[in-house]
Amino acid sequence: MAEHRLTYRSTLEASEKLLDDLGELLARYRVDRGLSQWVLLVVSEAFNNALLHGNKRDPKKTITVVLRVNQSEIVADIIDQGEGGVEKVRSRRTSGPLAESGRGVDLMERFATSTRFEELADGGMKVTVSFCRSGGREYAKSPERHGGKDGY
Amino acid sequence: MDIEMREEGHAAVLTLSGRLDLASGSTLKEYVKRLAEKNVTSVHLNLAEVEFINSSGLGALVSVMKEMRLLKGRLTLSNLASYVQEIFEITQLSHIFEIYATEEEALATYHEVAVR
Repeated sequence: MAEHRLTYRSTLEASEKLLDDLGELLARYRVDRGLSQWVLLVVSEAFNNALLHGNKRDPKKTITVVLRVNQSEIVADIIDQGEGGVEKVRSRRTSGPLAESGRGVDLMERFATSTRFEELADGGMKVTVSFCRSGGREYAKSPERHGGKDGY
Repeated sequence: MDIEMREEGHAAVLTLSGRLDLASGSTLKEYVKRLAEKNVTSVHLNLAEVEFINSSGLGALVSVMKEMRLLKGRLTLSNLASYVQEIFEITQLSHIFEIYATEEEALATYHEVAVR
């Protein structure tokens, strides 16, 4: 499985650069446009959570994205240097339809084949998302929740 | 993201292109806020050239809609790419926003309101 490691400072500009870099890599591996869009969406959601909630936009902290690609699967790890927060993700609650944040994790769970949240020994959080390249798109779960009070 | 604006009667028509995400969402909110300060409270967004949207972009659109509602104005959307349309449906925002297939259809409703 080919592996690429991308590391960014926790800035707004980095979220744009990530999309440029990731789009380029997905094109290089000839990932079809439909799947690429969902990979970009899901990874950007995890990245923005790492930026805003994990590293709290501290430019001294970094976010690392590890992308692994083969013929059948795409897997991405998004790793921050924050203080964890898996419990907050798990306990996020439904917010109203007019909420301005809190839809990110639901979109991740909807469009990735699998999603895993893990607290690291050094305090950061690692989010792992995978996508099946063969066959039709597989939805992991039904998005019954719409947004959370903590903005995840 | 680029924003091009033109006036159609009392409505401002904004054509967005590029990505609507964390950074550009703030740009859009600021842009519409400046319009509101000039008493422009009818805003149409043509999303035909929006190639990427995420939850931050959706949040920006919700924010703009709420601002327009507070001012008793309107926000309409049109020309959603199928990818964007699917995200609206999954998040159920398709029930919250006034969405039209084309810009012409959306603008016609402004004229209807003005005639009444």
